[in-house]
Amino acid sequence: MNFDTTIGKENISTLHIEGKILGNATDTFRKEMEMQLQTGHDKLVVDLTNVPLIDSSALGAIVTTLKSCQELGGKLVLLNPQKAVQEVLEVTHLSTVIEIYDTEESARDAFM
Amino acid sequence: MAETILVVDDDLDILELLKMNLEPEGYKVRTASDGDSAVQSAGTDPPDLILLDVMMPHKDGFQVIEELKNIEETKNVPVILVTARGQTEDKVRGLDTGADDYITKPFDLREVTARVEAVLGRTRPIKYINPLMRAMGEGFSEEGLEQLAGHLQAAAAIQKKLLPEKAPNLDGFDIATLLQSSTSVSGDFYDFIPLSETQIGIVLGDVKGSGIPAALLMVMIRTALRLLCHEEDTPAAILKRINDLVARDTEADLFATMIYGILDTATSTFTYANGGHCYPLHWNNARSIDVLKTGSMLIGAFEEATFTTSTCLLEPNDVLVFYTDGITETAAGDAPVSDGNHSEPTNSEQDDMCQDAILTDTFYGGDRLAACLSKNAALSASALCEAIVNDLAHFSGSTQTHDDRALIVIKRDV
Repeated sequence: MNFDTTIGKENISTLHIEGKILGNATDTFRKEMEMQLQTGHDKLVVDLTNVPLIDSSALGAIVTTLKSCQELGGKLVLLNPQKAVQEVLEVTHLSTVIEIYDTEESARDAFM
Repeated sequence: MAETILVVDDDLDILELLKMNLEPEGYKVRTASDGDSAVQSAGTDPPDLILLDVMMPHKDGFQVIEELKNIEETKNVPVILVTARGQTEDKVRGLDTGADDYITKPFDLREVTARVEAVLGRTRPIKYINPLMRAMGEGFSEEGLEQLAGHLQAAAAIQKKLLPEKAPNLDGFDIATLLQSSTSVSGDFYDFIPLSETQIGIVLGDVKGSGIPAALLMVMIRTALRLLCHEEDTPAAILKRINDLVARDTEADLFATMIYGILDTATSTFTYANGGHCYPLHWNNARSIDVLKTGSMLIGAFEEATFTTSTCLLEPNDVLVFYTDGITETAAGDAPVSDGNHSEPTNSEQDDMCQDAILTDTFYGGDRLAACLSKNAALSASALCEAIVNDLAHFSGSTQTHDDRALIVIKRDV
């Protein structure tokens, strides 16, 4: 897994992730999101366009971060999850509590 | 992991005899030939049970028990006293001192085994629950968890013993199960809970996360379910109560997915609620598969989650299949498994294989499982379980698994 975080307008952080989020990669993923929160970025877009699969720990990391963002008055949204990831989000019903967007623009607009 | 029994007797022949008798029953046996070494051995590495001779030189069995009860590590270890004297005062004194049971010499070896099993059967749940209660009291703190790690590792080993040994026999239904663990601590679990003459509660779940906290959460869920299924009427209400309990007491990244349902043999219905778990498959009388998509939020992450109950009618020959994602997320192998001298791939080869499969997105998946069910729906429940396992082995090129797998097959008789 590789990632690249960009901080854009309105202090919105976008995590572009490439590769599956499994095993050790999950720790990296979790820490990167924590880092964003610690540096005052509580508006997160997690770009899943290039993520074929995530494991349950990664799902847990997303849930924890989502809650932390909300407590801080911010938000976490997901961008463009692929079929396998989308299915997991639906079966677990996380899709009912996490905003999911198709395009980077609409994801950013979610914070306006 | 086998349960350990410490046998204490100054007669070496008896030590040997008990050891030879208990080891074939699957216990690990340690011995000590006097009171001091017994206390030392038990204190250093607490056994699951102590068989303790009363009449020993220097320090007798009663003194040993008193010392053991004063040591934190050993105070909860069950003790069965063994003595040549069948006197009532000895029995009373022994039980007063804290012995759990009593065996009189000369003993019948079958009686020893039966008493050992009875005492262990009685104390296993206590060993399981105590750390749980303490941990809950400490609000699942890291410190609390670390302290409990030892207890919980033992609990994890016992976890398998707590699983129903075989699927229940129900009038008109044929039930089979499968549980394969990738590690000593399984995140997958199932349970059958008799509710009435015609109703049985069935749960299949998968605790996410890993290690001790996950094992702890699993114990918590199973214990809560066993209590709540008699208090609440609907599966949705039960999942709601469990969700509230887990959401309040654990971190958000520790959660579970599970299905709980009531199989009613009088009405041939399965009434269930699904907390974020893989959708069950229903092979119906139209010879096709319904995916039971009534689902709700996964368990333990959100206190405000709500749950829905749904009912499915089972006609003669219908089949219900519940499974965990360890089945559908089985990765494809390079080549189908051969029948001949097939050498298992090394771990690193398997990892590579697994990762390649993930990159190319080739998983066993729900569709293959449904196809396997359609093809084998005429088989008995246990043969169907076997067919699915064989299909997975064929698909992955390995009989080993990277993830825990659990499966319940319920088939209504003709």
